[in-house]
Amino acid sequence: MVGYLEVKELTTGYGEKEVLKNISFDLKSGEMLGIIGPNGSGKSTLIKAITGIIPIWSGEVNYDKKNINELHRRERARIIGVVPQDTFINFPFTSWEVVMMGRNPYLGRFENPKQKDDLAVKEAMKATKTLRFKDRSVRELSGGELQRVVVARALAQEPELIFLDEATSHLDIGHKLETMDLMKDRVKQRNIGVLSIHHNLNLAARYCDNIVLLDEGKVHAKGSPKKVLTRAHLRAVYGIEAEVDENPRDGSLYVTPIKRKVMTEDKEEVVHVICGGGTGGTLLKELVEHGYEVTTGVLNVMDSDQKMAEFLDLKCATEAPFSSISEQAKNENLILTEEADLVVGTDFAVGPGNIDNLKALLYAAGSGKDVLLLERNEFRERNHMGRKGKEIYDRLVSKTTVKTMASMDDLLRYLSRGNI
Amino acid sequence: MIKKNTGWIIAGLTVLLLITAIYSATVGTADISFKEVILITLNEIPLINRYVTAPEGSSRTIVVLIRLPRIALGIIAGISLSVSGTSMQGIFKNPMASPFILGVSAGGGLGAAVGFYFGVSFYYLPLLAFSTAVSTVFLVFALGRVRKKTDIATLLLAGLAMNFLMSGLTSYIRYMSPPEKMVQMQILSFMLGNLNEAAWNQVHITLPIMIVGVGLVFAYSRDLNVIQMGEGSALQLGVDVERTKFVQLVTSSLLAATMVAFTGIIGFVGLMIPHGARLIVGPEHKRLIPTAALMGGIFLILCDTISRLMGEIPVGIITVLLGSPFFIYLLIRNRGDTGW
Repeated sequence: MVGYLEVKELTTGYGEKEVLKNISFDLKSGEMLGIIGPNGSGKSTLIKAITGIIPIWSGEVNYDKKNINELHRRERARIIGVVPQDTFINFPFTSWEVVMMGRNPYLGRFENPKQKDDLAVKEAMKATKTLRFKDRSVRELSGGELQRVVVARALAQEPELIFLDEATSHLDIGHKLETMDLMKDRVKQRNIGVLSIHHNLNLAARYCDNIVLLDEGKVHAKGSPKKVLTRAHLRAVYGIEAEVDENPRDGSLYVTPIKRKVMTEDKEEVVHVICGGGTGGTLLKELVEHGYEVTTGVLNVMDSDQKMAEFLDLKCATEAPFSSISEQAKNENLILTEEADLVVGTDFAVGPGNIDNLKALLYAAGSGKDVLLLERNEFRERNHMGRKGKEIYDRLVSKTTVKTMASMDDLLRYLSRGNI
Repeated sequence: MIKKNTGWIIAGLTVLLLITAIYSATVGTADISFKEVILITLNEIPLINRYVTAPEGSSRTIVVLIRLPRIALGIIAGISLSVSGTSMQGIFKNPMASPFILGVSAGGGLGAAVGFYFGVSFYYLPLLAFSTAVSTVFLVFALGRVRKKTDIATLLLAGLAMNFLMSGLTSYIRYMSPPEKMVQMQILSFMLGNLNEAAWNQVHITLPIMIVGVGLVFAYSRDLNVIQMGEGSALQLGVDVERTKFVQLVTSSLLAATMVAFTGIIGFVGLMIPHGARLIVGPEHKRLIPTAALMGGIFLILCDTISRLMGEIPVGIITVLLGSPFFIYLLIRNRGDTGW
């Protein structure tokens, strides 16, 4: 089989409401393509449009250069088999009878199933491990068992493309993997193409050769899992902060959602935070979640505040691990300070390595910037520079533009009142 | 469930139908034996009558002109209503659907009531009932069209609404009609359904309609199976869902409307027989439709025989009285599993 499904500029919707706009992608035989996207992004609508359940408004879908709309529905059913998320069957058909319905596109109106059809059904039920309940009524099956029967129906259809519409979402983890493994085997052995809608990003990352990420009816990104499953894409589309790591065993990606991004309106103000040693991590996150644009520095690489800054994708002046602040990092930090509308200094410990950070605060205050000092610990307790440190600190707090805050909540409240 | 023996089941039911029919022809005020009935019947069939000598006289007249057409019409009505009910339950994916779900009975009832009220001639009454039944269904269809498709849920509600409207109008006519003119009694008799006025000319009209109708429903039986997977899945499995719905709904409504026109509203057959048949051969429509058809024929002539024995009470009373206990039995047996 040398199937090649080409979706070109597809636009569709329900009634007056446009749901998908200018969707384009390809599905080749031998490929597993994943469709991901939040609820309401139009994933299932895509399958409905390609399989003719709803009309295509504009654009086209071609299979082997033939417009799929012009194919007879029986012909199309021999090309595409669909496994829906749910199936409700009101009457007590046996599992065998349900799988045999996959042969419908091959049977004429008055034709009875032949040996060939029996074989296809039997093979499909074997592959899905449903043969042992072939004579049982589907109404007596568990949800997972019924879903495997429906998968068998799609296999018995012997299609060149299989579409899974969140087909494994109700299966337990064992059967999820089993079903996806089965699809992978089919793709390899019979060179079919599989298009699968996933809610589970890790399942998509693990099984799909390529992924299309939908957002509000448009393609946000498409390509290899590495290209699509990036933190920036996940943040933009799902509104989550997530870690994306590579599975050391097979090189597949796995996504760990950390937390949902609080959807506050983005503010225009830029806050520069001078911190270090874990004194600023939480504050950085809070400020980002409150919608401020946040920069930070100078932080040593591998410092916990630096890790947070990297995780939040912040502009950050950095220095090599366990090194004193260099001239270059210092200047970088001063530039960020100048660009900010407000500068925050946390109660970091002051030593010879980072005395320049304290000087940077003084520089900011001196140049007329508002400076907030987060003082949960008194300065003398964290001053390891003796008189030299105290001298700079005293000059800093004497500036009229400098205010001290006793807690992070006070600080955030002060900002939210518009004192910026 | 017995599945593989469908051929034997259908053969058995056919034999049972014949025996019931012949038995029914022996029942009545005139005492006519089983043998006489067979001889008289065979004598009526061309070619065979050369080899059969039947008893002459009143027995022959009673069997040929009164009992046989009534039995034939009973079989036709039983088959038509059961097949219509099976088809409706399939399209609505709902075991509570009946042939009258789209307003056939209420529409036909209104036509008949108007006919009785104005004293329309006996020959035109079926025509009147048929046209109002069909117009009602047509209206229901028009209401059930959503974006060029037949929406099953809307159709169900439209049927319900038209049923109420037509029944309301019928009740008004019944209420307004003077008691001394027997109009009320005639309307009631129509609403309960009866085979009293069966005649061969009715058989000649209804038989071809039944054959074509049952044939059409049967022709789309596999499509009806696949539609049980959901309309979307059916489409993806290559079924022309809209055409299947149209053929099934129109055909089964016409089957029911034809029977309503000639026999009144015989309830319960179309609702209950499909269940009974499903218990025996399962829900697969290629087996279910012939089984339900034969069971419907047997059930209705049995009920009509009882009705004759009880002094010509409307057969609809018997079908309901015999049918509901069976229904309650099904309910108890399958309690908790709404799909039966």
